[in-house]
Amino acid sequence: MSNRYNPDKAAVFWIADAFAAIPLAAALAAGVAAADRGDCGTLLLAVVGLCAAALLRAGLQIVAADRGEAAAIRVKTTWRRRVYPHVLVAAPGHHRMLGETVADAVDRIEDLGGFHARFLPLRRAAVLSPLIIAAAAALGSWVAGAILLVTLLPFALGMALAGTAAARAAARQLDALSRLSGLFVDRVRALPVIVGFGAQDRIGRHLADATHEVATRTLAVLKVAFLSSAIIEFFAALSVALVALYCGFNLLGLLPFPVPETLRLDEALFVLVLAPEFYLPMRRLAAAYHDKQVGEAAVERLEGIAPAPSPSASPKIPIAEPPALRFEGVVIDYGGTAIGPFSLDLPAGTSLALRGPTGIGKSSLLHALLGLAPIGAGRILVDGCNAADVALPGHIGWAGQSVAFVPGTLADNIRLARPDAGDAAVEAAARRAGLGPLIAARGDGLALPLDHRGSGLSGGERRRVGIARILLKDAPLWLLDEPTADLDARSAVEIAGILAEASRGRTVLMVTHSAELAAIATREMVLA
Amino acid sequence: MSRAHLDRLLADAAALERRHFRIAGALAAAATIAAVLLLGLSGWFITGAALAGLGGVLAVQTFNYLLPSAAIRLLAIVRTTARYGERLYGHRAALMTLATLRTRLFDRILTVGDVRAVSAGDAVTRLVQDIGALEDSLIRKPALPAALAGGAIGIVLAWLASPWASLALLVLLVALSLWAHLATPRLLAIAAADMAAALARLKASMVDHASASPEILAYGLTPAIEQALEVEKTALDQARRRFARGEAIIDAGLVLGGGLAMGAVLAISQAALPFTVLAVLSAAGAIESLSGYVRGVSRGALVTAALARLEAMTGRHPVPVDATISIVQTIVFDRNGASVRLEAGERLGIAGRSGSGKTTLLEMLAGVRPAPADCGIRLDDRNLATLPPEAMRAAFALSPQDAQLLSGTVRDNLRVARPGLTDEQLWAALDVGCLATEVRAMPEGLDQWVGDGGARLSGGQRKRLSLARAILAGRPWLLLDEPSEGLDMVTEARLCRRLATWLHETGTGLMVVSHRPAFLALAKHRLDLEGNNSALAEAALS
Repeated sequence: MSNRYNPDKAAVFWIADAFAAIPLAAALAAGVAAADRGDCGTLLLAVVGLCAAALLRAGLQIVAADRGEAAAIRVKTTWRRRVYPHVLVAAPGHHRMLGETVADAVDRIEDLGGFHARFLPLRRAAVLSPLIIAAAAALGSWVAGAILLVTLLPFALGMALAGTAAARAAARQLDALSRLSGLFVDRVRALPVIVGFGAQDRIGRHLADATHEVATRTLAVLKVAFLSSAIIEFFAALSVALVALYCGFNLLGLLPFPVPETLRLDEALFVLVLAPEFYLPMRRLAAAYHDKQVGEAAVERLEGIAPAPSPSASPKIPIAEPPALRFEGVVIDYGGTAIGPFSLDLPAGTSLALRGPTGIGKSSLLHALLGLAPIGAGRILVDGCNAADVALPGHIGWAGQSVAFVPGTLADNIRLARPDAGDAAVEAAARRAGLGPLIAARGDGLALPLDHRGSGLSGGERRRVGIARILLKDAPLWLLDEPTADLDARSAVEIAGILAEASRGRTVLMVTHSAELAAIATREMVLA
Repeated sequence: MSRAHLDRLLADAAALERRHFRIAGALAAAATIAAVLLLGLSGWFITGAALAGLGGVLAVQTFNYLLPSAAIRLLAIVRTTARYGERLYGHRAALMTLATLRTRLFDRILTVGDVRAVSAGDAVTRLVQDIGALEDSLIRKPALPAALAGGAIGIVLAWLASPWASLALLVLLVALSLWAHLATPRLLAIAAADMAAALARLKASMVDHASASPEILAYGLTPAIEQALEVEKTALDQARRRFARGEAIIDAGLVLGGGLAMGAVLAISQAALPFTVLAVLSAAGAIESLSGYVRGVSRGALVTAALARLEAMTGRHPVPVDATISIVQTIVFDRNGASVRLEAGERLGIAGRSGSGKTTLLEMLAGVRPAPADCGIRLDDRNLATLPPEAMRAAFALSPQDAQLLSGTVRDNLRVARPGLTDEQLWAALDVGCLATEVRAMPEGLDQWVGDGGARLSGGQRKRLSLARAILAGRPWLLLDEPSEGLDMVTEARLCRRLATWLHETGTGLMVVSHRPAFLALAKHRLDLEGNNSALAEAALS
């Protein structure tokens, strides 16, 4: 995740920007010296040099910002690879909750941008850039260079004293603000309840009191939080003032202490113009401090969404033959609500239809088998082994109510179930699933282009794509989650017929409301 | 609400803090002037000293170094303290304005027709981000006086070099401001819009994909899906990069402008050398003082987008709630030939498969979701769609399917129902909801913190707390959406019994959506929403 060895990192360009400040100061000093001599040719040359140096700095800053963004994109890509799979196979639940989970994951990854694009490169540059400026200033006047460096000592001390207090205060401020924002979010979220009970006025007043109270408390905190930026500001001003006074008195020869250097005007001006550059990296860094706070909070949240994978994952037991399934007193515990206990026994090569009222937890049983629903008590055994130790994902057949689509052709979408399947096998599965009329009706046949929603396909056709997948997969274990729900009667009967024929000899666990589909199962079990 | 309204809302909120904004602006101006003068005066001092040093002992003795050196030290202190004060007053004004604005926005949001859309998770997240963008723009308010002061002092000091130098600096300052204003829409506005659109598309695609998560897991489709998301991810990253680049290019204009200003003043100057140096360095400082303002202009692209979204989100102007709210005596459902008529105090059980519009029906009655004209529901012989939501809210108390609780205490959650509730009333309602024993057993009783959105309670407890709250509202009709979800049979039976007693004693009508026979048995009338072609089901899909 680190870009430490990346050659095009933004910090290099920020440091180059510090280097470019040197010719700019030199050109200005040379120009003033030429004006002093009345040397118009050199003056003009110096002015051109000055503008060229400014142009160079402008370019370097653009590249630095762009490189920073590029580095941030790389980091975000890495995080996306880690987090998105967790979100994509998150426990299926309420659509609204899914939306929140997705938004949380996507937004937090975006929050990392400023930290990696700006703060990190600026922090790396802030180590080297002041030293470069001080060294360049020392070429003009080594005492002035030393003055700049010496101001670093009280600066560092001040930052250590005020900085930690300020950082604590800043953290508390962020805390208070996020609590306020949390309160606001909570009340907006509960709007249906609030307006439903006509509690607008009371809740509104409460929110007003709370926001003003937090704002007042935040202000007290800010007095400390701004200290560290005041210290940077103070030393930036002080370094200019000290260098100016030293150079002026040196030029006048009025210094109250002996110095082993006598300055010329151009040397003195060169040093003076460089002096504000010395604290510039620190000021830039302070301006990006908010990015750091946001980025660190985001990392914490993302670690929670997608914990680092444990390396000790034992190899999973493969399933080759139709397995026997056994649920022993399984309770599915969603934290708030628990369903179960469920017990069932499904011998190898047989099929079982689960029926019962909506909301009783039939689908959750299938999800639990896949590890998508949290099991609070009991266990699920596949051929006598714990379901979690068996290589189910990627090796079973699934047909449900929603079918996943990716942009590509119809054939691509069917082939997702078995990427090594040949064209003939894909077409056979499609025809067997009853997609023949679709292939014939549209000019493209199996090359029919689809988007990520499968737009243009009817509800029945979408289900049939799912059926074609399960046929193509040819897996020993099938899980069916109401594959015919909401379909018209004819399609439902047809699909039930296809599944009846193809499921023979496999272990099939199905959830259904439909009597036709349940009829194809060896056994039926009603949950109540 | 129109954009003008929103702007006025913002202006009104800011007006309360006008004094602090003015102080912050004055301090910002002072800090900028001090910064420009500090560098300029230092240059003048050094150059003057150098010339005096060359001029011999007499020149040195006549050179007044006390005043400038004292001024340099003073300016360093003024610059620091003024900057500190500016930040403090600027943040105070911005925070207080925002506190007011948040409250007023909340009031406006309360008046939207479909509060459910606003209260959805991603909408709330965007709301918070948009308010953050406004905060950013408020904190940048003192940047304008700072830029004006810096520009003015720069132009005055450049006059010391030559009137032409002043003119050149003025031209540069105006050109850079124009540059920021002209480049922002071209370089940033499109990128900002692309960014928001790509982000929304990415989230929508992920939600679409993730709703088929068992299939993704069963076939190991994660790599294929991630590949499919690549388009949106790339679009987002590229838009963000274009935005960052655009912002850097606009900022770079200032760096280049600073160089040009110094070069121009140096080349044009006719004055004595110390004044030339003073003018050159002041010109650079004047250009630098524009930076806060320019950043504000470029961030304006985000603020405009935020304001537009807030405008779309907030509702019409607050209307006074109609004081003469009718008590609904009769309710008629008339759909697909099947019709049910309820008189005050009667009970209706609603059944139907998931997706058939049961929840939608209750939400329309409760006035939290707008009803379509063909909803087939009449209250006291008036079409539901023609009634103001306030009228429905006064007649119905809803305990929704996902029991929404406030982050607060048990008492906070119950007292939302109605003003002026006593503890006895709260306990009585908890008793009907079969929750009193459990709340008594909690360490803090009624003051028990229920966690964010009630996270510290079990699903069944949340449900019953929400039911107790609906009972407390004292409305003539009680609407219950799946009240027994997450309850065991024994509790369910007890809850049914107590609820029946309470309904009977208070003469409250009931509409209950449930899959379980126990609750449906409470009701004399029955409405079956089976079938996909009803108006209600279509309303649910739209």
